[in-house]
Amino acid sequence: MLVGAFALAHTPQLIARPDTEDRDLVLRVHAAFARVKARLTALRVDALAVAAGDHIEGFFLDAVPALAVYVGRECAGTFGPYDYRFPIHEDLARAVVEQGIERGFDLLYTQDRRLDYAFFVPLHFSMPEPAVPIVPLHVNVYLPPQPTPRRCYDWGRALGEILAARPERVALLASGGMSHYPGTDRYASPDFDWDRRTLETLTAGRGHELAAITGEELDKTGNIELRTWITLLGAVGDRPADVYCYEPSWHHGNAIVEWPLPPA
Amino acid sequence: MTDAAHYRFPPASAYRLNRCLFAIKADAEFRERFKADAASAMTQAGLDPREQALIIARDRAALVAAGAHPYLVFMADLRLRMDRSSFEYF
Repeated sequence: MLVGAFALAHTPQLIARPDTEDRDLVLRVHAAFARVKARLTALRVDALAVAAGDHIEGFFLDAVPALAVYVGRECAGTFGPYDYRFPIHEDLARAVVEQGIERGFDLLYTQDRRLDYAFFVPLHFSMPEPAVPIVPLHVNVYLPPQPTPRRCYDWGRALGEILAARPERVALLASGGMSHYPGTDRYASPDFDWDRRTLETLTAGRGHELAAITGEELDKTGNIELRTWITLLGAVGDRPADVYCYEPSWHHGNAIVEWPLPPA
Repeated sequence: MTDAAHYRFPPASAYRLNRCLFAIKADAEFRERFKADAASAMTQAGLDPREQALIIARDRAALVAAGAHPYLVFMADLRLRMDRSSFEYF
């Protein structure tokens, strides 16, 4: 069953903490991550399904999947001084890929692909105690053409139904966002106004409206990664969001959000 | 996605360029070889002199104009400047 749904920033500076960053802002985002950790612990989750966009670390141009499921025994990777290793919930991962394909989603699956900080940052700060296995879900955000927001929403709806029918208590995490433009001339000018309007839409419980956003608009507003949020929105439907924090830094709109679900 | 987009389809003509940036970013062993002898590492990676010159110059606009993915340019440069000890200042 699906017992929790959260969107979490994965800005690498939240772990790296270089001296370019506003210390107080970073610590406020850390406090929001800690709230998610406490919620996940209280929800007694058995597994985390984590929708994130690989940053051209595991998947390169030799093969570009739109949507992928990691179904190995474990997955790993490094970020800065950290070597991360997470067990995969194999039964759940296999159910997601098998039933996803039955439902018409031509998913790539991998049993041997490393993860990157899109997965590590939320898990570094918000993994419940004791730690639980994960099901990593890749959504292509950095290599055009990416899946449309509509397709992400539909995949999320199928994913939500698959998780709802499972015996495990699962929380769905969407990693990424909000506005940022790494590697471009706009790196220091995120579109915070667009972010705030979008958060208003989400707190009003109108998440389905994000399925109608175009890929062009996501690119223009620095929100290509919102495809992971839109995937989550397909799973949770039009529930009002609870925004734990929105912290605009000089390069990144950092948001931590929960969509409270009925107790299960 | 239009030509005005921040992230565009990476043209096949830039495949080797992007592959080299990807290796600098994501392959620690290649990155060390590159730091030790960039020309040798890039020659072994199959880059022609024009592509090697683009990477050595580290000119983001020129690399992107040649079809390099902006995120790969950004991260390859960061990984060359960053070491594992340059973390957690506060």
